[in-house]
Amino acid sequence: MPDKRVPDELEEYLAGESALSRQYRRESAPMPPHALDRLVLDAAAKPKTPLRAQGLAPLAFAASVLLSVALVLALVFAPQAAKKADDEPRVLKVSVYKSDPPRAAPASPRERKPAVWLEDIAALRRAGREREADVEMRRFRSAYPDYLIPVSE
Amino acid sequence: MSSRRLVLPQVVAPRMLPAMDLSDDDAGLMLRYRDGDAAAFSALYAEYKGPLYRYLLRLVRNAGAAADLFQEVWSRLVATRARYEPRAKFATFLFHIAHNCAVDFFRRDANLRGEIAAQDLDPPLLEPEVPEYQRPDRVAEFVEQQSALLAAVAALPHEQREAFLLREETGLSVEEIARVTDVPVETAKSRLRYAIRKLQKSLSPMLDPGALPARTYA
Repeated sequence: MPDKRVPDELEEYLAGESALSRQYRRESAPMPPHALDRLVLDAAAKPKTPLRAQGLAPLAFAASVLLSVALVLALVFAPQAAKKADDEPRVLKVSVYKSDPPRAAPASPRERKPAVWLEDIAALRRAGREREADVEMRRFRSAYPDYLIPVSE
Repeated sequence: MSSRRLVLPQVVAPRMLPAMDLSDDDAGLMLRYRDGDAAAFSALYAEYKGPLYRYLLRLVRNAGAAADLFQEVWSRLVATRARYEPRAKFATFLFHIAHNCAVDFFRRDANLRGEIAAQDLDPPLLEPEVPEYQRPDRVAEFVEQQSALLAAVAALPHEQREAFLLREETGLSVEEIARVTDVPVETAKSRLRYAIRKLQKSLSPMLDPGALPARTYA
């Protein structure tokens, strides 16, 4: 019994030479403008200059590699250059203060201004550090024996 | 005691195209270009510039956008030439790039339209932001400048239009159209079937009656 299956429109179309395809081929066939041709062909002949800015990814990658190498070299070699001075062990003195640390004592007591010094002594007393305040006061008096201390002090 | 079967989700393997022989002359030209022969590119360009341009022009329905995409497609091909391996017909390779460029283009456009919709508080200011090819008057103008057939093609849904254009401009098979557009073969077949059905229906008076069987469509 012969196959009476009728091919559908897609099969007929794909078989070729359909009226639809013939009609389509009769239509105008626009082509890209010549300026576009030139642009594409030039870019293809010199692929290192892309048609469009395609990002600076390769350059950025090279820069990051260079920077990484420089950083590694700096980490590897810079500490060794300074290491000779650091070879000897050192004792670090660490002070812990309950309140604000006192100002650094000047090389000579006379370099410390009396008003500031008295202010520091008052701060020690306010902090309850009477003993240290008394020591500082004795130093103050020996440094400024003629300084008139206000009554409150 | 009933045994329980563990049903694992089906993993769809990525579609790996088999390496093809080099009987495809265009693939051979592309290989020569990959290896530094600029003349091979010129030959490829001469052969494909027309079909590619018309595919893009009739897909996006705007000459300016088509020119931009055309340039972008070749630019991507040039940029990726070093990695080219002839795993499919060259036309499939080229138009797959073109399809991806078009997808990106429509996605950008959709995002733009989304942003515009979100800022719908000040319509007068937004008017110039609508891409030219998207303006209804421009689309209508494009369609009016076409013949009845091209106007009918332009009126097809995007996916159907793409399937039809790929077939007509490149002669790709349904399987190759599916590969270009990243869809199953049955989907590509269905799109093409709907496209030609609509075109034949809208153009039946002007098509050669002897070339088509008398048929009634549901």
